[in-house]
Amino acid sequence: MALSRRDFMKQAAAVSAAGAIGMKVAPEALAAAQEAEKGWKWDKGVCRFCGTGCGIMLATRNDKIVAVKGDPAAPVNRGLNCIKGYFNAKIMYGKDRLTQPLLRVNDAGEFDKQGKFKPVSWDKALDVMADKFKEAYNELGPTGIGVFGSGQYTIHEGYVMSKLVKGGLRSNNIDPNARHCMASAVVGFIQAFGIDEPSGNYDDIEYTDTAVMWGANMAEMHPILWARITDRKLAEPDRVKLINLTTYTNRCSNLSDTEIIFKPQTDLAIWNYILHEIVYNRPEMIDQEFVDKYTVFATGPCDVGYGMRSNPDHPKYTELERETMVKQVRKVLSEAEGKTLAHLGYKAGDTMENKRAAGAIKHWIIKFEDFKKGLEPYTLDFVAELAKGDPDESLESFKAKLQQLADLYLEKDRKIVSYWTMGMNQHTRGSWVNEAAYAVHLMLGKQAQPGNGAFSLTGQPSACGTAREVGTFAHRLPADLVVANAKHREFSEKMWKLPAKTLNGKPGSHYTKLLRDIEDGKIKWSWVQVCNPWQNTASANHWIKAAREMDNFIVVSDVYPTISAKVADLILPSAMIFEKWGAYGNAERRTQHWKQQVTPVGESMPDVWQAMEFAKRITLKEVWGETKVDAGLTLPDVMPEARAMGYTDDDTLFDVLFANKEARSYKWPDPIGKDTLNTLAEGDKRKVAGFEGYGFFVHKYLWEEYRKFGVGHMHDLADFDTYHKVRGMKWPVIDGKETAWRFNADYDPYVASKNPGEQFAFYGPALKAMPAGDLAGPIKGDKVKLPNKAKIFFRPYMDPPEMPDNEWPFWLCTGRVLEHWHTGSMTMRVPELYRAVPEAVCYMNGSDARKKGIDDGDAVWIESRRGKVKAHAELRGRNTMPPGTVMIPFFDERVLVNKVCLDATCPISKETDFKKCAVKVYKA
Amino acid sequence: MTESAAGPRSRHLRFLVARRLLQLGVAVLFVGANAWGWKILQGNLSSSVLLGTIPFADPFATLQLLAAGGMLATNALLGAGITAVVYAVFGGRMFCSWICPMNPVTDLANYLGRRFPWFRAGSRQDPRKPLARSVRTWFMALALVLSAVLGTAAFEAVSPVGMLQRGLVFGMGLGWWAIAGVFLFDLFIQRNGFCGHLCPLGAFYEVIGRFSLLRVIHDHKKCTSCWDCLRVCPESQVLNLVSKGSGSVLSGACTNCGRCVEVCHDDALALTFRQQGIAQSSGG
Amino acid sequence: MSGAKDMDRNETGRREFFSRLARGAAAAVAGGVVWGGLVREGQNAPLALRPPGALSESEFLAKCIRCGLCVEACPYDTLQLAGPGSGEPTGTPSLKPREVPCYLCTDIPCTVACPTGALDLALVSTDNGRTLDVNQTRIGLAVMDYHNCIAAWGLRCDACYRACPLIDKAITLEHTRNERTGRHAMLLPKVQTDVCTGCGLCERACIVEEAAIFVLPHEVALGKVGDNYVRGWDEVDQQRVNPDGGAADQVDQSGAGALDYLNDGVLGGEVDDD
Ligand code: SF4
Ligand code: SF4
Ligand code: SF4
Ligand code: SF4
Repeated sequence: MALSRRDFMKQAAAVSAAGAIGMKVAPEALAAAQEAEKGWKWDKGVCRFCGTGCGIMLATRNDKIVAVKGDPAAPVNRGLNCIKGYFNAKIMYGKDRLTQPLLRVNDAGEFDKQGKFKPVSWDKALDVMADKFKEAYNELGPTGIGVFGSGQYTIHEGYVMSKLVKGGLRSNNIDPNARHCMASAVVGFIQAFGIDEPSGNYDDIEYTDTAVMWGANMAEMHPILWARITDRKLAEPDRVKLINLTTYTNRCSNLSDTEIIFKPQTDLAIWNYILHEIVYNRPEMIDQEFVDKYTVFATGPCDVGYGMRSNPDHPKYTELERETMVKQVRKVLSEAEGKTLAHLGYKAGDTMENKRAAGAIKHWIIKFEDFKKGLEPYTLDFVAELAKGDPDESLESFKAKLQQLADLYLEKDRKIVSYWTMGMNQHTRGSWVNEAAYAVHLMLGKQAQPGNGAFSLTGQPSACGTAREVGTFAHRLPADLVVANAKHREFSEKMWKLPAKTLNGKPGSHYTKLLRDIEDGKIKWSWVQVCNPWQNTASANHWIKAAREMDNFIVVSDVYPTISAKVADLILPSAMIFEKWGAYGNAERRTQHWKQQVTPVGESMPDVWQAMEFAKRITLKEVWGETKVDAGLTLPDVMPEARAMGYTDDDTLFDVLFANKEARSYKWPDPIGKDTLNTLAEGDKRKVAGFEGYGFFVHKYLWEEYRKFGVGHMHDLADFDTYHKVRGMKWPVIDGKETAWRFNADYDPYVASKNPGEQFAFYGPALKAMPAGDLAGPIKGDKVKLPNKAKIFFRPYMDPPEMPDNEWPFWLCTGRVLEHWHTGSMTMRVPELYRAVPEAVCYMNGSDARKKGIDDGDAVWIESRRGKVKAHAELRGRNTMPPGTVMIPFFDERVLVNKVCLDATCPISKETDFKKCAVKVYKA
Repeated sequence: MTESAAGPRSRHLRFLVARRLLQLGVAVLFVGANAWGWKILQGNLSSSVLLGTIPFADPFATLQLLAAGGMLATNALLGAGITAVVYAVFGGRMFCSWICPMNPVTDLANYLGRRFPWFRAGSRQDPRKPLARSVRTWFMALALVLSAVLGTAAFEAVSPVGMLQRGLVFGMGLGWWAIAGVFLFDLFIQRNGFCGHLCPLGAFYEVIGRFSLLRVIHDHKKCTSCWDCLRVCPESQVLNLVSKGSGSVLSGACTNCGRCVEVCHDDALALTFRQQGIAQSSGG
Repeated sequence: MSGAKDMDRNETGRREFFSRLARGAAAAVAGGVVWGGLVREGQNAPLALRPPGALSESEFLAKCIRCGLCVEACPYDTLQLAGPGSGEPTGTPSLKPREVPCYLCTDIPCTVACPTGALDLALVSTDNGRTLDVNQTRIGLAVMDYHNCIAAWGLRCDACYRACPLIDKAITLEHTRNERTGRHAMLLPKVQTDVCTGCGLCERACIVEEAAIFVLPHEVALGKVGDNYVRGWDEVDQQRVNPDGGAADQVDQSGAGALDYLNDGVLGGEVDDD
């Protein structure tokens, strides 16, 4: 035992020592630095990492990024960065950058699923890829293929892929990893306001008196914003209150006035307690005028399941796994649920049949009385008992904290912002909790004003800008349009100059479902871009097996080898962020563009190029004929109309979608790109695969076409050139001016046009015609139109599908650390960051550990019904766990914690709950 | 060369082989303990633990530390005691030829010196013998004095033996230079120079090994005065009774290496426990 | 004195005897000086960081037998025996936290393994060795170079703070406003001298090229307040000072003592050159 621990350590030490060697700066680099800035060219960029969206400046010399600095002119960070931002230059040139296409081949050099990776030419790679695509497409139709997209796509990349897959291939099977991170927030926004994305912005921090973190470890995950929160606290230490709601002590607790450790999943009960406090005990605090004028009450069904597979007897799952999976179909209600679902006539011990899983998103208008009735159980006593997360804390102290929390929300002139990230989003009732947050803020009239509002903090640098605004989700089109809406499709077809009825109206598979489809053999060709599904998705064991053992073809475009690349069949080397033109949109609706700084390394090429070269290999007649989607839907043959539009059968998707007449009207060179590289427009010195450029300004064209979707539709973006002159702008950008707070007439010009004379207008157009009903369900009748109204939802507390028991006694929560970005493919290659946090550890409570004979640093197994993973126990350090909970970050592919996690999701948003499953922990 | 003389080779090398095996075995166990966590013999020759329980410690190092003013913990004192008793009662100066990893180095130098006399051509022993064997005894005393003055184990701080035995287990660093120095010194400058003349540790074992039981005995009657034994003996002065009279080698300087016994064609020498009678009759 | 007769009898023998004695003594002195110098040189390594439980450097060197048992006991390969030429006393154990820090094992196997008491359990335990308390470890003290710490530039780092096993105790964050940006705070790591164990996890984690936080032995890192003053607000501060207090040392202004000074004719003190 001691021996294995020792061996494990030795290995780790050896690896880290090797990492340390990379630390030394090459003498050339040193000399260059001494030469001051000679030969350096500075230009603006954006940090590659988190959703904060710090502006940076990049120095290039001899066609290499040599340094970065925080951009003093960037309003978010004013020249500062966190340590990930600090290392933006050092992620570029890792020793194992992928520089050539790699294909699994046999001895004859032909593709072989069982073969080993060998370098191949781009032409060969793309040819094989296109052939395999056609095989799968011809066999299975548009749902037989899938694209894993990203909240780290540049906006242009997301747009190109959305257009290619939805407009060209007529498939909606494209979904970004943002599904894992922001989908619940999206549902919350759309359902409450009818339009995605926060009303406020980061300046709320400077305006507010109170910041409440609801499952947002901002101190580590939004480092620069935390510096702003801290500054706000320092400015008025007595006035400004910080409350940290979390399931374990994290770094935000350090500065917070109050730390509330709650039991996983009970945040919704706490929100409801606040609502209960408002409605039952202090109704005078309701902002009645605001509520009457601008809101309605709503609710939805509860028998909606947990986003798991609907067939728990699936042959590829074990008995143990089924124990949890069966709850998707029916669940025996707990004591707590007996109370919180009493309004529906349930009691503890009843079995709830989850019949409305497919209609989870449906909701209807209710009366205030119904709303109030639903909230009845959420008394302080009930919620405190249910939600207290630290067994060592007294009930009294916990109650006092909840009371204080409610008091802060209710205090008349207190401004308050609620922040959350993955704590509320990665949640089997994630959409509900998001809605509950808005409910509190709307009831109190504390929304959409400087310093007041509920604010979802995006994790990824462009989850907003790309995944959401461009609409790379399986059900979306650009600018909040959705595929299921015929008018939206029609509009998009016009925008994209497609024949009518080209677009497929059936939403595709969400991120996790794409993997399930691969496991079921329903998808045989997939393309992974800017993400790492085989590391970042729960139930990873299944997906790894499926990738390697099923008959399928998986393409991974990436910059470094990842677990996903390892299970793939073809790997395409991608250009990195500063090796291409691009734009990101951060969490406060700020769109920021940058120019290509350097030539990509090796033979790597931008993802946009890869998409276009692939599109060149697909002709219209191959995808625009009559195509069966499923038993109920067959896409019509649109070739006749296409011909009428002047397209020919053998035109490629590239010709039609990307290199059309309009595209070619964006000339290169262009003054905005003076002295700037542009691999796509003019090729580059490498002439990879003989490529010498498309001859037009691809990025400008893509941007200008994309922004037409939003202009005049509350999604207005500025023109391409403007963004290259400013440090980002918060959309909607109207008459060249950005919008700081939406829905508020003082700041948002749309209010005047949508709701003349009013102070507020929640003008989002989505889901604004609803049936009315009561808590039990809608009542037949006409749909009520809800122009400019926000919805205040009542949503009951419900247990997660898997909770600790005797056999699996611990909650497992996964998450991140400041030092590493997501699956670590970039930051784990920066020697300094690697050394700072070389491995993912299992944070654990000391007394829990002692009971199991586990000491600090011991290797332990963390095992769930789905699999197990080995990590070192950490009983001290940055996270302090309450008894009964362990936490493991997911950045470390050697500690592949997603093998253990459960792929249950919010049934509406389909976002996985990475924060909760039941595990046992024992000494390895 | 003497080893090529008649008789089964194995018999003529039996002690040599056994010594090398023991030296190697000890080193392997120490290395194994550090590299792979074996729990058989941990530490190094300065202090070690056998099977996780029995402590050993270098008694001379321990003495130096005591001189340095270190009030040592019982484990070290116990270990030193055990080790000292083992050598004092049983093995004599056996450490030097059976355990010490420097021994193969100096033996090699000696062998080469004998085999290829030109190595020593330029270093005819100075008739005035500037390097008396007693020097190591002085050095031993000096080590203790310096330890007291400097507050640390003075010989351990510079000892090539320590560097070698620790280095084998924990990494040599620049220690190879010290080992090479000893080798070259023995080869070119002074036959058996380091162990025979300089090493205070050898001197220490010489002192405590004075009365040990294990002894080389000589049967004068069988001796043909071929002097093979003297040629191989690293401390040849201790064999001054050979061909003069029967008896035991009583000098503590004898390392009980048994080379003399092995090379004797006439069975005139043997390694055995001290016999009262012969011991009495030993000549001076 | 027994040599007297010999001297009388044999002048040559007597001279030879003395000359040998003198040569021997000279050799011993010369050898001793060289040898001592070598040892001193090796001892002169004030930056060596000793394993948990190590006595003060001088006591440690008087006790460490250089056996490496602590090195072998460490599951993390933290400790190394100094090789010849490393600049540290050869064969003594030390750690280089930037490479491998001490992970503060709760069972402190290194200290437990030490046979001589050079690593003293009493220093890392309560009630004299019976209850181990690794947090009492004082390998050294983490010292910050704020000039090269990017947190002091205003960047969000505090990687050292998060790496500290005694986070919020051994390293705390000092929050100050960043006047330059006007809207960000600096989160400055600050080492608490009386809690820091010197484990070096912070030094290892520090993300700048050469660590801006590093562990130094207490002898090097710490100043010392004299024994002439006791903190009035601290009940136990008196334990810090030695029982004789610290009133003795003074600058001898008068030079010759009060009486002589007073009787010296010159009036009016001047600072003169000679
Ligand atoms: S990772 Fe986030 S906080 Fe850090 S520099 Fe980048 S954008 Fe800013
Ligand atoms: S406490 Fe543990 S990690 Fe630290 S030196 Fe001792 S054995 Fe090694
Ligand atoms: S401050 Fe540094 S050396 Fe001190 S205890 Fe913390 S991590 Fe260890
Ligand atoms: S890790 Fe280094 S740079 Fe970062 S805060 Fe600590 S000392 Fe400063």
